[in-house]
Amino acid sequence: MREKGGDVNDSEDMFLKLTAHIKEALLNLSSSKLRSALALLGILVGTASVVAMVSGGQLATNEALKQFKTLGTDLLAVSINDVPNDDQTSHSEESLTLQQVMAVTQTEGQIRDVAPYTQLYNPIQYNGHTLNGAVLGVTENFAKIVHVNVVRGRFISSLDRYSPFCVVGHQLYEQMKAISFVDPLGKQIQVGSDFFTIVGVADAWPDNSFVYANIDSAILVPILASTALSKYAEINNFIVQLVPNANIDMITHHLQQAVQHYVPNKRLYVRSAKELITSMGKQSKILTVFLGLIGSISLIVGGIGVMNIMLVSVVERRREIGIRLAVGARRVDIRSLFLIEAVMLSLVGGISGVVVGIVIEYIIAFLWHWEFMWFFWPPVIGFSVSVAIGIFFGFYPAHQASQLDPIEALRSD
Amino acid sequence: MSALISLENITKTYVTGESEFHALKGVDFQLQSGEMVAIMGSSGSGKSTLMNIMGFLDHCTTGRYCFSGRDVSRLKDDELAAIRNQKVGFVFQSFFLLPRLNALQNVMLPLFYRGEEESSAKLKALNILEKVGVRDFITHKPNQLSGGQQQRVAIARALVGNPEVIFADEPTGSLDSKTSHDVMQLLIDLNQQEQRTIVIITHDKEISFMCPRVVTMKDGCVA
Ligand SMILES: Nc1ncnc2c1ncn2[C@@H]1O[C@H](COP(=O)(O)OP(=O)(O)O)[C@@H](O)[C@H]1O
Ligand SMILES: [Mg+2]
Repeated sequence: MREKGGDVNDSEDMFLKLTAHIKEALLNLSSSKLRSALALLGILVGTASVVAMVSGGQLATNEALKQFKTLGTDLLAVSINDVPNDDQTSHSEESLTLQQVMAVTQTEGQIRDVAPYTQLYNPIQYNGHTLNGAVLGVTENFAKIVHVNVVRGRFISSLDRYSPFCVVGHQLYEQMKAISFVDPLGKQIQVGSDFFTIVGVADAWPDNSFVYANIDSAILVPILASTALSKYAEINNFIVQLVPNANIDMITHHLQQAVQHYVPNKRLYVRSAKELITSMGKQSKILTVFLGLIGSISLIVGGIGVMNIMLVSVVERRREIGIRLAVGARRVDIRSLFLIEAVMLSLVGGISGVVVGIVIEYIIAFLWHWEFMWFFWPPVIGFSVSVAIGIFFGFYPAHQASQLDPIEALRSD
Repeated sequence: MSALISLENITKTYVTGESEFHALKGVDFQLQSGEMVAIMGSSGSGKSTLMNIMGFLDHCTTGRYCFSGRDVSRLKDDELAAIRNQKVGFVFQSFFLLPRLNALQNVMLPLFYRGEEESSAKLKALNILEKVGVRDFITHKPNQLSGGQQQRVAIARALVGNPEVIFADEPTGSLDSKTSHDVMQLLIDLNQQEQRTIVIITHDKEISFMCPRVVTMKDGCVA
């Protein structure tokens, strides 16, 4: 019974002393405002950079993963490449025809749709000017699968077959307008020696990881027309849209077999949305850790600032320490006095750093036109690391203070 | 009746680099409870050194120190802190009040380190401040007080923990003669009316005449 009562009293004492220590610490800190503010600033900047960097990295990851929200996670990007060969000269002439691609992907019932495309880099002439851009040969469903929106005119249709029609990307369209000062829609564009009539204009197209070309700076022509344009227009890529929960491994295997059947010298390379998401997730983790570390370095610098200021404070307040020792402060009391001051500095610095960090995150989101999000962990981590830093870097000065000899401390001025 | 303080052959040697300095060379001294003693002696004779040892601020190099019949020559830091907190009170020449705290907070400090509750500490401090005559200045910071008032606050701080002995190292050394006299009168009243045990270091002959017992130090020895 007795012992228990004692325990309660002890912890009450501790609490009383702690609150008194905190009051004192705040008083002492506020009596040297500029210096405290500078130490606080160091912690603030460190915490803010941890919070802003980690949150910013997280935003970037979210942004990168966003494409899958619109595109869906049921896509496969299939490329057919030459088998690397010692014999440099033997570029295999054969490639899949459109029918073969359709045949390869018609089977199974796991594939909902397929969009093969060709890529050419022939010079594009408009109104006597040469434009930089790719020529993509596409089918009608390309627009739907990779989300190309036509803002004016129409997209390539399956009826177009070999017809010389084209849809121009957003950026090229702007360039053409700047060249001719008239609406390019309905005008003609020259690719090599062939002329194409512009039948549609695509909207700005968010980059995605499935199409290797940038549609903003490309013209889209019917896939058959593109194969007629040049012998280099090979159907080396197609994007496959799967039914939900399709067995990706099985389909990959099937495609491999089927393509091998037609073009034995080529190799199939398949990337799935799921695979991309996992690898992005991995990269994001590395990025987050890396950014967090960079932030932590500035936090450590802030901690050294706190230590420096506490050391100066200990030297300046030797007399005070002596007085406190003379009236009966124990070494642990002196240590707490200074440790709590350091922790108060980093506590206040940490809280304001979290706020500033979130503001910076908001500004990043605003400048890059990213969607702002609240994250739980970056503030928590930033804040707790800053307090830990305060304790770590405050401990040495506080220990120094507590080891002073009462007489020597009193004698100093 | 055993003495409150009993020193036997106390020495204190300061070592600075190669050289040694013997500040106390075998001091024997007894102090009874309720006594008021003045320690006189020229500057450098070891008065402060002796007082610091008696007041648990410093260790003696050799010798035996008994306080209330208990050998306290070799106590640990925390035990010393507890004794300083509860058994002794200090008054210094230059007051040594904490500049950031007001008079009341300064007086409450020893009670704070004792873990006493704020409300009761405040009550005690106010009583003592009343007694030493600075009740009207409790919210003043030290730099807003005169020297005499500061020393009264310091005396209140020394008294507040109800110690068994008060050590005053040249308490009037920074005061003019009128204020010195008032402060001395306060200490004498404390001795005569409350039987407080008080040790005063002083240069001033006149002040030593006010004390019932005078001890003179010379060259590290009690003469
Ligand atoms: N920390 C120290 N290191 C070296 N010498 C000291 C130290 N403290 C005091 N002394 C010396 O011890 C002697 C006695 O000092 P003190 O007790 O302060 O004399 P006083 O009688 O004037 O109070 C002086 O000569 C002083 O120089
Ligand atoms: Mg002295």
